[in-house]
Amino acid sequence: MDCKEIRDLVSDLGAGELSPEAREHVSKCAGCGGVLRGARLVQAGFRALAEEAVPEASFGFAARLVRRLEEWEEKGARSEFFETVGRRFVYATLALTLALLLSLVLPTSGPVRGVGGADFLGLQADSQSSQPDVIGADPGDSHDWIPGRLPD
Amino acid sequence: MARLESEVIREIECIQRVQQGDAEAFGHLVERYQQRIFSIVFHLVRRRDEVEDLAQEVFFKAFRAIRSYNFQSSFATWLSRIAVNHCYDYLRKVRASRISYYSEMAEESAREVERKAESPQPQGLDHGEKVTLRDFVGKLLARAPVGDRMILTLKELEDYSVEEIADLLNLKASTVKVRLHRARKRMLEDLERWRQEGE
Repeated sequence: MDCKEIRDLVSDLGAGELSPEAREHVSKCAGCGGVLRGARLVQAGFRALAEEAVPEASFGFAARLVRRLEEWEEKGARSEFFETVGRRFVYATLALTLALLLSLVLPTSGPVRGVGGADFLGLQADSQSSQPDVIGADPGDSHDWIPGRLPD
Repeated sequence: MARLESEVIREIECIQRVQQGDAEAFGHLVERYQQRIFSIVFHLVRRRDEVEDLAQEVFFKAFRAIRSYNFQSSFATWLSRIAVNHCYDYLRKVRASRISYYSEMAEESAREVERKAESPQPQGLDHGEKVTLRDFVGKLLARAPVGDRMILTLKELEDYSVEEIADLLNLKASTVKVRLHRARKRMLEDLERWRQEGE
């Protein structure tokens, strides 16, 4: 058996029994002897660690935990409610704002579309009105309407 | 036998109640498993002052995830898996503050520990010697990579079988065997390095 085999064996067995052949090698090889001593040390240390008293839960641990869980659930349900309501409120506000903007930008119906929009945006109505809105209509026969002024 | 069966049935009913949102029923499960979880957490983390907080976090996680528990494995295994994963995350986080412990050991106690190793079965150790040995191997474990520390602790301190560890860590038993072998070997190599540094 060579040193590598012995060390593999020692790693697996820890402080367990070695075969006579392995024992003979260890007795002659200082390096493997050291590894075996190390393995025994570690094994003994593990035993000592396993025997160590584990800390116990403090009095009322479970009850305190349940109370915290109930609080957490309540809080979670509440925040979920507010989150849902809040999200709906934001969506509704956005939808309303968009609808308002569209109602201001877009005119009510077809032929005056360009003019109304242009007026709202502060553009020159003349340049718009020089184009016929309706095929065959006279450019002078204007449909343009400026807010606050009655058509002639 | 019948008592065991009725306990199992009671536990299943309890879990089902918790799955429907009954936190009070979870209290019974906590009482039943708290010592097991404290033991896993203590052995993996080895910080007495942190054990209760970590155990509480484990139970909290379990409560939040209990709807996903499908009775495929035992509740104890499922809960232990949460504890192991939680400790693994914790250890990875605190890993940054890793220090070399060997230098903190007095030369005398180091030699004493060495001498203990020469006895094949170091029985009859007095309290002080046990503490020294415990301290030494505890520190050796703390120096090990987190994965090695987890698997060695579960095997050597929690006394889980290879199959149980495989179940806990979602690994094949053959993988666990290989990892255990490597972890032990690495630990011995680390010990050897320390000896050479000390010479």
